[in-house]
Amino acid sequence: MKTLNETQLQRLETGLDAIREDVVSDLGERDARYIRRIIRLQRSLEVAGRILIPLSLTPVGFVAGTASLSLAKIIENMEIGHNVMHGQYDWMNDPALYSQDYEWDTACDSNSWRRTHNYEHHTYTNIIGKDRDYGYGLLRLSNDTPWRWRNLFQFADYVGLSVLFQWGVGLHELEYEKLLSGEISLRDKGGFLKEFFRKGGRQFFKDYVFFPLLTFPVAGKVLLGNLSANLARNLWASTIIFCGHFTEQAATFHEADCENESKGQWYYRQLTGSSNFTGGRWLHLLSGHLSYQIEHHLFPDIPAHRYPEMAPRVQALCKDLGIPYNTGSFGRQYATVVKRILRFSLPERLTRQAA
Amino acid sequence: MSAFNAQRITAMQWLSRQLLNQDVAGRYFDPLIEPLNPRWALGRMIATVERIEDETHDTRTFVLRPPRRWRGFLAGQHVTLALDINGVRHHRTFSLACAPETWQREGLIRITIKRTPEGLVTPWMHKNLYRGGALEISEAFGNFLLPDVEAPLLYIAGGSGITPILSHLESLACREYTAPITLIYCIRSAQDQIGAQQLEQLQHKLPLLNCQIIRADQGEGQPPRLLQASDIDSIKNIQARHCYLCGPTGLMAVATTLLETRDVPEEQVFQTFFAPLTNPLTDTAGGAVTLMRSNRELTVDSGQSLLEAAESAGLSPRFGCRMGICHQCSCRKTTGTVVNRNTGHVSGPGEETIQLCVSVPQGPVSLDL
Repeated sequence: MKTLNETQLQRLETGLDAIREDVVSDLGERDARYIRRIIRLQRSLEVAGRILIPLSLTPVGFVAGTASLSLAKIIENMEIGHNVMHGQYDWMNDPALYSQDYEWDTACDSNSWRRTHNYEHHTYTNIIGKDRDYGYGLLRLSNDTPWRWRNLFQFADYVGLSVLFQWGVGLHELEYEKLLSGEISLRDKGGFLKEFFRKGGRQFFKDYVFFPLLTFPVAGKVLLGNLSANLARNLWASTIIFCGHFTEQAATFHEADCENESKGQWYYRQLTGSSNFTGGRWLHLLSGHLSYQIEHHLFPDIPAHRYPEMAPRVQALCKDLGIPYNTGSFGRQYATVVKRILRFSLPERLTRQAA
Repeated sequence: MSAFNAQRITAMQWLSRQLLNQDVAGRYFDPLIEPLNPRWALGRMIATVERIEDETHDTRTFVLRPPRRWRGFLAGQHVTLALDINGVRHHRTFSLACAPETWQREGLIRITIKRTPEGLVTPWMHKNLYRGGALEISEAFGNFLLPDVEAPLLYIAGGSGITPILSHLESLACREYTAPITLIYCIRSAQDQIGAQQLEQLQHKLPLLNCQIIRADQGEGQPPRLLQASDIDSIKNIQARHCYLCGPTGLMAVATTLLETRDVPEEQVFQTFFAPLTNPLTDTAGGAVTLMRSNRELTVDSGQSLLEAAESAGLSPRFGCRMGICHQCSCRKTTGTVVNRNTGHVSGPGEETIQLCVSVPQGPVSLDL
């Protein structure tokens, strides 16, 4: 692992701590107003979508309703749920925004998410074998993972995962690859599966049973609208998340490198293992500001709408210390993700030149 | 009827969880409802400020209109207000200074608040709450209640401690109370007297009310006049009196001792007062605390509350009043013993809900936090 010397790491740590402290001491009314405005927007979009889908008389109305519901789900998952559960708004002491109690609009149970994402992924980011978010035990995304025949078809796996993303995320904690290898048994996962069926069942009931039956004469239309909204959210969330860690330049790490890591080393790993993309205000909002994945990984519990003002300072610090700051347009970053999935579907000897 | 209600609530809760991922459906819709009219909020109770009256140079009365579904109160009870100050929600408990009968008639309640200059919430309220403004209010609670039967009463109030007593007296005036009532009201100086007008009217309505106002300030060079034995000794038949004390700790301690030495039965003495604890217990041993959910170990110094300890370790557990009232910070303790530093109550060793803000560990403790 390429790393910095002790002095550089110390400078990185002090610099990033200072950026963090400046924002923490400035948190207040502005942030509270921001998140409450976003929640109001999300509620309006969902109510509008739920009403417009069954009552629409034209295909245009139907598409508008579906788009409204899709946007509501995307905003709830990305800018509200994900960020609230990170504890970004715990300082407000508002029970409705309390990280440990929040439940989001997806098949994934929030307790399972807090364990696997907030704890495992954000602590062991990009450490092969420890961060199960790295390829989700499904995709081979670096030569650190041995090649197997089924990797040849991993692009199809990727498309499948994206389409069913909420269920994939919901089942993440099952650790199916360890089940297959016999490392753990289904019995070990009894508690988790109970949670999964409770929450997944709830989401299924709502979108595919309750609302269609409630609007019975147009049940088919409502079912189609809800399916489409979930699909749109699944594809969007998957795309955003893949752009965060699986771009071409995003680094990977080994467990041994990270033992007894200092704060500076942890910051360095978060920086080089994540990637940003650029875009307009709405792109950032709809991505839950995960377009600032680097800042998110450095400061996961700072309200995400603050990342845009932190990013130039982080970038300047990186430039000073000669650390690569991985960013580019949304399209370009996503193209490198696709390339990475395709490239590592082949064994190492066939792709060595390309590396 | 109640069984039917309980059933219905559970079904509603179930549906709310299924459809909205919320325990209370109203919380989902509140962000859309509150901008229209805060008092229509479903998930929490929002009162609006009807008017603001100046009582003294540093004390104001806020006349509030609670929402319709607010359940009301008994004379002497208090409410917790939640105020968003610079994005952070703060909780404070205040006594109601009016009679339940007035609320039933007018739909309004009175909360009299003295500004603590070094505090955060009361100066903010004096400066920022305006007519028509909105604030969250809890249901009323508290045990500072009038006796069930007519009995002679003695009130000893200090400073802003007069407020729950005004509530009692107003309520007594509404029901033509015939037993004798004595009020001893200790204030710093004439300009610090709260509810002067209200008291004057009460004396007309309650012919058996004997009101003594003791001013500490006796003029230049004079020692301050405090509550003394002779104030109590002039009261007839003191052992029969139900005694209500509300005021600063020092005054309440003096009053309690005076009543004890005059053989007033303990169960006839009631007290209440809200002020941040100034001298936390220092003789309580601390302990090693395990936070199971966050997978952390803390060492808590003697006298430090679990909430303070968790905060200084960089965690932000939910909290409210920080003085053991509102239960916002309630949390499951799985093992170990804690002492409530307000009451000195020592917990059992097993699993129970404790209040982080007033609990001091006594030896090792583990929490579901």
